[in-house]
Amino acid sequence: MRRRPNYLGGAGSLVWLFLVGLPLYVMLAATLRTRQDYAENGPVSIPDSFTLDNYTGAFDSGFGQYFLNTLVVTVSVIGIVLVLVPPLAYAIVRSRGRATSAIFRLFLLGLAIPAQAVIVPMFYLISEAGLYDNLLGVILPTAAFCLPMSALILSGTMRDISPELYEAMAMDGASPRRMFFQLVVPLSRGGLSTIVVFSALQAWNGFLFPLVLTQSDATKVVTLGLYNFQTEHGIDIPGLLGAVVLSMTPILLVYLFARRALVQGLMGVGGK
Amino acid sequence: MKTRARLPRLVATGATLALALSLAACGEGDGGASSDDGKIHVLVYGDASNKVEQQIVDTFNKTSDVKAVLDTIPGADYQKKLQTIINTPQAPDIFFNWGGGSIKPFVKADLLMPLDDMIKKNPDLEKKFLPTVFDNAVVDGKPYGIPMRGTQPVLLFHNKKVLEEVGVQPPKSWGELLAAVEKLKDEGVTPIALGGGDVWPTQMWFQYLYDRIAGPELFEKAIGGDKSAWESPDSKKALDMIKELVDTGAFGKNYDSVKYTNGGSAQLVASGKAGFELMGSWYYSQQLTDHPDFAEKDLGYTAFPAVEGGKGDAANVAGNTNNYYSVMKKTKHPEAVAEFLKLMYSDEFVKAQLDIGNLPTTTDTDEFIDDSGTPEYSRFQYDLVADAPSFQLSWDQAYPQKASSDMHKAVQQFFNGQLDTDGFIQAMQALPTE
Amino acid sequence: MTTQSTSARTAAGPRKESRRRPPASSTTKVGRPGFAWALPAAVFFALFAIVPLIMVAVLSFMSWDGLSSPEFVGTDNWSRLIDDPVMLKSIWLTLLLTALGVVLQTPLSILLGVWAAGHQRNRAVLSVIYFIPLLLSATAVSVLWRALLDPNFGIPADATWLFGDGNLFGEQATAIGVLAFVSTWQFTPFHTLIYQGAARAIPPVLYQAAEIDGAGRYRQFFHITLPQLRTSMITSMILMIVGGLTTFETVLILTQGGPGTDTTISAYYMYDKAFKSFDYGTGSAIALALVVAATVISLIVVRVSGYDKMRSSMEGVS
Repeated sequence: MRRRPNYLGGAGSLVWLFLVGLPLYVMLAATLRTRQDYAENGPVSIPDSFTLDNYTGAFDSGFGQYFLNTLVVTVSVIGIVLVLVPPLAYAIVRSRGRATSAIFRLFLLGLAIPAQAVIVPMFYLISEAGLYDNLLGVILPTAAFCLPMSALILSGTMRDISPELYEAMAMDGASPRRMFFQLVVPLSRGGLSTIVVFSALQAWNGFLFPLVLTQSDATKVVTLGLYNFQTEHGIDIPGLLGAVVLSMTPILLVYLFARRALVQGLMGVGGK
Repeated sequence: MKTRARLPRLVATGATLALALSLAACGEGDGGASSDDGKIHVLVYGDASNKVEQQIVDTFNKTSDVKAVLDTIPGADYQKKLQTIINTPQAPDIFFNWGGGSIKPFVKADLLMPLDDMIKKNPDLEKKFLPTVFDNAVVDGKPYGIPMRGTQPVLLFHNKKVLEEVGVQPPKSWGELLAAVEKLKDEGVTPIALGGGDVWPTQMWFQYLYDRIAGPELFEKAIGGDKSAWESPDSKKALDMIKELVDTGAFGKNYDSVKYTNGGSAQLVASGKAGFELMGSWYYSQQLTDHPDFAEKDLGYTAFPAVEGGKGDAANVAGNTNNYYSVMKKTKHPEAVAEFLKLMYSDEFVKAQLDIGNLPTTTDTDEFIDDSGTPEYSRFQYDLVADAPSFQLSWDQAYPQKASSDMHKAVQQFFNGQLDTDGFIQAMQALPTE
Repeated sequence: MTTQSTSARTAAGPRKESRRRPPASSTTKVGRPGFAWALPAAVFFALFAIVPLIMVAVLSFMSWDGLSSPEFVGTDNWSRLIDDPVMLKSIWLTLLLTALGVVLQTPLSILLGVWAAGHQRNRAVLSVIYFIPLLLSATAVSVLWRALLDPNFGIPADATWLFGDGNLFGEQATAIGVLAFVSTWQFTPFHTLIYQGAARAIPPVLYQAAEIDGAGRYRQFFHITLPQLRTSMITSMILMIVGGLTTFETVLILTQGGPGTDTTISAYYMYDKAFKSFDYGTGSAIALALVVAATVISLIVVRVSGYDKMRSSMEGVS
């Protein structure tokens, strides 16, 4: 396709570049200067000092532990989703039973349940189960709320597997179980990576469940650490932004090294 | 007629059971506080005073077989979290509170241990504290709290350097305060820093003006359930004066976006961008931590000014009488808890509190003041409290916790003009008093 | 990528599958998974979403402060909410913010998405920066903007020529503006991605044919691109609406519902009622209303847009 340049789109994208770039620049610049420099010269000036104190400060205030907690939550949520969703999607796509169809409708309904809506009883259930202020108490509900979307995405991918392939395997006398492991799973890799990206972001960025279901430093996740840092040191803006930058570093690294997979995965969330 | 409902519990029990099963399948979880790990959990409000609480816990752990653990929740979230968890298996053994209305609902729900048995065994737990302070944690005739920090009268702090530069004296009367506000405004300084984002600092202005104009009786009547108190002429007069102060621009324009809890308002005063700030006596130790140079050289303080023609005694103070440790009924280690509480009148405790600018309320505090880190400040507070005919407990602590969200909204909306006098009165009348 | 068909089929569900009988030629019986395959996920989900949802419904008819036992109070919570001016205001604010989100983000993300769908090198490089907000949590985004826009210690204090007295959080209009801007900043990249993927999947034949007919760029955009993006628009708008109805962190961190109650949207009001005033009954009633609203609005969008009909006509494609 040889076409004239798209001026309107180009101009829009430049405006967007500015809107995204400027705050990110101010943020980075602020974190590399001393609090005094920032206070005296203001956020948009050119820094005349250089320091890494804002990062070490944030790290010393416990972010190391918070990262570890977030990592545990994220990995566990991905684990639960990967164990539960593929068989579910397989059943949704291949089973003809009424019960399965009912289950599918249950998950469709689940799409419209926001986490906020169930937070009160969730608190009650989790604390009665002795899981309050325990990472498991964050992991389980977070994973549960990843299920509807993941099921939808993955069953979409699995539907693209042509019926002839199943028949071919059936000729060889394959059981549903063997079809699942030898046919369905290998051919659903795209969908699987999408649900991994989706649940990883949900878990990594989750806020409400940790806010209500945990309280101590030992179970604090990064988002909550950020929120508390803000309520306690809200005016130490370089330090606060240092914590923000720290909190986004791991995901940014993943983004830089696996941009394609991540972007493809996210497009998948939109139903593609 | 209201019937006791079993349904949610039933559903919950079923779900919990299923949950437990799925847990067994999921395997072991990660750390976090568990309900009984053989330790005493002490839950406190997270702020600069925590170092003393930690020191006392360490001292206790040196000799006790049952160890204590100090858990903190950042100040801004403390009360919310406390009430959320207090009736769950994860409740602490001992927790920080403000006495008065802040523990009444817990007593009603039968969650707290009356301390009279402990006191019978060791009368010092009561005798060593100033009775007026101790009594603030007595509910229905039984003691439920042991004072564990210092008394916290609200004082009017100022930046000496800023006041000097514009040539005003710390005000002794309302008129002088208004004059000082005008002068500061002319110099382009925000006259009074206010952490309006937290709302309770805003409420302090109401507490003092009501007390100065109507005397402590008005609020006593209101909290006692007689809501007509809010409609009285004195109430309206106090509201008019607050309105006048706000409208002259005494607090600048940004006060709703400033907080005390994140260090914002204190920073404005320390950096000379604002002249005054009305705050509890803990302000001193906070400034000493955040801005040591300023706190040592330029931080001044006075009592709240007298109001001309008011019925209230100008020597009255408002604030928090003290903070208290209350004990959960279901604690598994009552003996260890009793031992722990003894430390609240130890010499070490009194000295450590004085050193960070807090004023403990033990009967022998007086003896230690002159050797403390901040003798002048401690002496000022001590005399102020000792001579006060009345000590008005902070409104939001006197009311039950469930009222505080609506009270804060009313206070904030009156300040920023969204509620007029009648609207504010109606909002206060709508608050539950028990 | 068999873009359109996948999403259309996704929404069609198993019923469509059951309509598609096995081909008559098939002689071998193909084994199918039983419902046991779906059971673990279903139980897990029921436990953590459906059971709590039922409890929310029950709690909305009870009075409970978390201390004493809950008591049945009939429809008291509901009737109080209907008369509660803050509740009514919160519904209005929620709808306003959701609508602002759709109105601001849809054109912007279509424009950016179509532009980014091109294959030029500089676009690829720039897209790396564009999508950064997508990677940040709502918490991080809100904390970032709260810090940047702090009236005393952020940019406004420095740039009075732009912000006046600088207190964006002190007036209802500007506070709402900040909330709408921050969500746009955060979510536009995601919707851009959706449109980018969809725009790339538009068959080039359509454009070639249009060019032969002499259609200009703008006609092509309105007559080919937009209609082809229709399914994505609906997906994206539903996600925006559900996202808008459940915005929470942004309000908690940026405005805390203020000034006064001027940005108290329903989800925040629910949190305020439940976890600040300890009125779990009223909080649950608001929560239930949110679920119902999200479901109904999504259904309306699907119906009005003809999305449900579209997918059946699409079956033949792919």
